[in-house]
This record gives sequence, C-alpha cells and structure tokens, in this order.
Amino acid sequence: MELADRAVGFLLSLISLSIFTYYTFWVIILPFVESDNFIHNYFLPQEYAILIPVCAGVVLLCFLCMFIGFVMLKFKKKKA
Amino acid sequence: MKHVLKIFSLLLVISALWIGLLQASILPQSHTWLLPIYFIVSLGCYGLLMVGVGLMRFPTCPQEALLLQQDIAEAKGFLKQSGVDVGCK
Repeated sequence: MELADRAVGFLLSLISLSIFTYYTFWVIILPFVESDNFIHNYFLPQEYAILIPVCAGVVLLCFLCMFIGFVMLKFKKKKA
Repeated sequence: MKHVLKIFSLLLVISALWIGLLQASILPQSHTWLLPIYFIVSLGCYGLLMVGVGLMRFPTCPQEALLLQQDIAEAKGFLKQSGVDVGCK
C-alpha cells in the first residue's frame, strides 16, 4: 500500500519539477538566446507560453464551478 | 477580516512592484509582461511538489496499526459478552 503512495508522490513531484524547468527555460532563458540556435526546435512559439496556462486556468475554473453546482443540486434533491 | 486585508495588501504591493518595474524598464519590456503568469505557474508547481513530497514521506506506523486491530478485537469481544450488539462487520 505505501509503495503505491510513494510511487504516486514521486510521479507528482517529477511532473511538477519538469513543468517548472520547461516553463522557466521557455519564458526566461529562451528570449536571450539567438534566433537560429538549435534549441528553439524543442520549444513551441512564445505565444503558447501564455495561451496554455490561461487555457488550463479557465478549464480548472469551469470544472470547479460545475463540481460545486453538481454537489449543490444533489444536496438540494436529497433534502427535498 | 484581518487575514483577507493582509492578503489584499500583499497583492497590492506585488502589483505596484510590477507596474514600477514596467515603468522603470530595468528588464526588457516583453519579459516584464510575462512575469505574473510565470509566478502563478511556478506557485502551482510548488504546491504540486509539496503534495508529492508529503505523499512520499507519509508515515504508516505498522506497529500501531497492529495494536489498534488488537484493541478493536478485544473491545468487540468484551461488548458482545456484556450483551451489546456490535453489528458492524
């Protein structure tokens, strides 16, 4: 049991670290590198650096609102 | 209310710093525009990291679990003797 927990925890921290380094590279270091360096092939264009977090935030907000509404409806139906 | 006021004042200070950085042009302008989004993403990342690390270091205490099971069995036997109906499992 605790091995599964440790594996999930390890996976989560790995994902978060990789996202953090990729995003740091993308936003802070890449603008200072020359345009025709090979490293630019590994990163999407810079507009996506803003689009992807904003889209993810909007999706998260929608999901939260739907969840709250769903729970409220279920509670009201059970009370009545 | 006081905690909310503290959070609001912190947000105000950070946005004032950001606008000041924009006006003073210490860093290049395109960099400064991306700073708030970068901080929000890194904050989310930090939260996820703390959750992962907490999951990895969660203690399970196997001896205490065993003692607890023994306690439960003993209590069930005692209560059944005294006539109380222990219906759970």
